[in-house]
Order: sequence, then C-alpha cells, then structure tokens
Amino acid sequence: MILESIIEAFKLLISFDPEIYSIIFLSLAISILATLTAAVIGTFLGILISISDFKLKRFTKKIVFTLMGIPPVVLGLVVLLLITGPFDGMNLLFTKSAMYIAQTLLVLPIIIGNIIITSEKTQKQILETATTLGASKIDKIFLLIIETKPFIFMSIILGFSRALSEVGAVMLVGGNIKGDTRVMTTYIALNNSMGEYSMSIAMGFILLSIAFLLHTLLARFRGDFYD
Amino acid sequence: MIEIRDLKVKMKSLEFIFEDFRFEKNKVTVISGRNGAGKTTLLRVFASFLDYEGSLKINANVTYNSQEPVIFNRTAYCNIVYPLKVRKLDISLYHDKIIEYAKLLDIEHLLENNALKLSSGEKMKVSIIRSIIFNPDIVLLDEPTTHLDLESINELTQLIKKLKSKITFIIVSHNKSFVDDLKDVEYKVGGKNVLS
Ligand SMILES: Nc1ncnc2c1ncn2[C@@H]1O[C@H](COP(=O)(O)OP(=O)(O)O)[C@@H](O)[C@H]1O
Ligand SMILES: [Mg+2]
Repeated sequence: MILESIIEAFKLLISFDPEIYSIIFLSLAISILATLTAAVIGTFLGILISISDFKLKRFTKKIVFTLMGIPPVVLGLVVLLLITGPFDGMNLLFTKSAMYIAQTLLVLPIIIGNIIITSEKTQKQILETATTLGASKIDKIFLLIIETKPFIFMSIILGFSRALSEVGAVMLVGGNIKGDTRVMTTYIALNNSMGEYSMSIAMGFILLSIAFLLHTLLARFRGDFYD
Repeated sequence: MIEIRDLKVKMKSLEFIFEDFRFEKNKVTVISGRNGAGKTTLLRVFASFLDYEGSLKINANVTYNSQEPVIFNRTAYCNIVYPLKVRKLDISLYHDKIIEYAKLLDIEHLLENNALKLSSGEKMKVSIIRSIIFNPDIVLLDEPTTHLDLESINELTQLIKKLKSKITFIIVSHNKSFVDDLKDVEYKVGGKNVLS
C-alpha cells in the first residue's frame, strides 16, 4: 500500500501534470516573496533592536521571541480578521496577496528573532571594537551587516523553511482554491483528507527535497563562518 | 591624561573599588592585579563601554585593544585600515607605516590573508596595529602578550618603545619580562566588595 503510493507519487512527478507544477510554482513564489520582504525589513529591525538601547528593549525581545513560535493558523486568523474587518475594502480575502501578507508576517519575527539571538555576542564585540576605532553609527550598521552575514543568511533560510512548510495561515486566508490559491501544503492537507495518499506523498517528497537543498545551503554558510 | 577619583564599578554581585590615580601622558603604565581583580573592567570603563560611579576625567581619545582580538572578516590589511577609513583619512599616506609595523611584528607576509583565518597570536598583532595606526592619544592594551611567543613579545616591546613618545600606553600584562622592560609606572587593582 505504501509502496504503491510511492510509485504512484513518482509517476505523478514525471507526468508533468501542469496543475502540480503550477502549485509548486505558486508555493515557491509566495514563500520566496514573503521571505524576501521579511528579510529586508527583518534584517534592518533585527540589527536596529540589537544595537539600540531603549526602555522596552527586553519586552520587545520577549514579544519577538513569542511571535517566533506563533502557530501559523493563529496568525492566519489574525490576518483573516484584519482583512475582513478594518481592511475589508481591499478585497484581500482568499487571494494570493493575502497569503503573501500572512507569510511575510509569519516570517518577520523569525528573522528578527534569529538575528537578535544568534549574533548578540558577536555584535557586541564588533560594535565595541568599531566604536573604539572611531566608527559612526552608519559605519557600525554596515559593518554589522557585513560581519554577521552568515547569521543573517541562516535566519532568512530558517524563515523561508517555515513559510514553505506552513499550512494554517495560507489555508485560512487563501482558502485553498483550486487553480488559484492552492499551494503544496494545502494540497497535501486536502488530498489526505480525501484519502489520496500518493498525491500527498509526491508533494511531500518535493517539499522534503527543497528542505534538503535549503539546509545544504545553510550548512555551507555555517561552514563559511566557523571555518 | 586620565584621572580617577572615588571610582567604583558595579557588576551583578560585585563592586570594584579603584584607588585614586592619575595616568600620565607619555608614560607606560602597567596595571597589575590578580585574575578577576577588575583590570579589564577598568580598561572598559576608560573605553566608555561600562558605567561607573565617582569621577573619571579623560582629556584624550582612547582606544581599547581587547584581551581576545576582535577581527573583522576581511584581509589583515583591510582590518588595519578600518579606523583610517571610518575617519576618512587618506589611506595611502599610512601605507609605509603599516608595512613598517607589520614587518616589525613579523606579519608582513600575512597582510593579504583573511584575518579571521590567522592564528590567535597573529590576530592579536593585527588588532594591535589597527589600534595604533591612527595615532590615538591613549592605547589600552589588555593582555596583549597572552597568545604571543617570546620573540613576538620582544618585537611588540620594540614597537611600543618606538611609539611611546607619541602614544600613551596603559597595559595589562602578567608577563614579567615584558612588563619590566616597558613599565614607567605601575597601578595596582584589587579592591572588591561582594554585594549581597
Ligand atoms: N558583565 C559582567 N557581569 C557580571 N560580572 C562580570 C561582568 N564582567 C566581568 N565580570 C566579573 O568581574 C570580575 C573581574 O573581571 P575582569 O575585570 O575581567 O578581571 P581581570 O582583572 O582578570 O581582567 C570577574 O570575576 C568577572 O566574572
Ligand atoms: Mg582581563
């Protein structure tokens, strides 16, 4: 039974069924765009939070860390309430834009949080050294981005993994509409609930392969840094 | 150059008390004291990385060279010119000096290597040259000899002697011959209260 499903899955993959490939494409497109958006904002905010001293710094960090682990479905619910409530006029419900917004918000705290955690010690030493050598605030921000590049890449890849693998948020705000807002994870969820395991396995296999590629990349950045 | 009076520094469960002192211009002052006595703490106060109580007067610019060298991910040469770059100084005017110091500390052949991949001792040499290249008034050297071999320590001694008429050095070191060779003045650190 399992073996049959796996064979079926590979048949599907090499069948070049346009529906499957458009689903894969949409998944990647939305998650990549969301991650890139979150990366630009998150890198800036992450570095800003770590180099600034302000009153609510501890509290802000706690909020960010909490949001890192927010269940995607809860975040989806929040976005859903927003786009059917105050932003109702923008007609975002069950659109790709809504999925992009939800995933961006999902990834943002992961990138900010990881940048804050992983590079805090390095950041402190680099900042002090730069200060003592006469660097200005702008010099320091540039230096930090350059010096903590491996951490930033790592955070971005972790964020992307999360975006690509989550079901809850895209399901809620996208609606899993066939040919429109259906992505890999919602496709798996749907087929599974209908007992179509081979489809799920095929998609699952692709997701795993992408995860494998990502983590190979991640290992390379780590290697670059710890060499 | 630096004058301290009733200086206290509070850590989580410790309070360091420093005796009143004046660090004089163009004298090499060696700070001595046991492990954990607060030597690094004092230098970090001078570098304005730490808060303190009491009075501290510094009328000069100060550069702190840390115990574990902090190196940027770029060549040794680019590390050394960093302070020149951020001060918008003309790097070409300093080139001969960089080569001279690098030769003196025997790292001239490493200048184009990525400094993160150098040995600890070599990193320390890079960071020391980076700390002195822009002629700061005061250079704080925190245990500069830790990772250096005997010959390198002698070379560093030569470098400091050469520069001491222009730069005031305040040095923490446990290396007796290095200290004896350089010391004009000594300042002892050791007062400490355990807070409950
Ligand atoms: N940020 C800190 N928080 C709490 N304790 C600290 C901190 N920095 C240093 N200490 C403690 O202060 C003591 C003195 O440190 P330090 O000044 O580095 O001593 P040393 O004379 O060996 O350079 C050590 O026991 C260290 O554990
Ligand atoms: Mg120390």
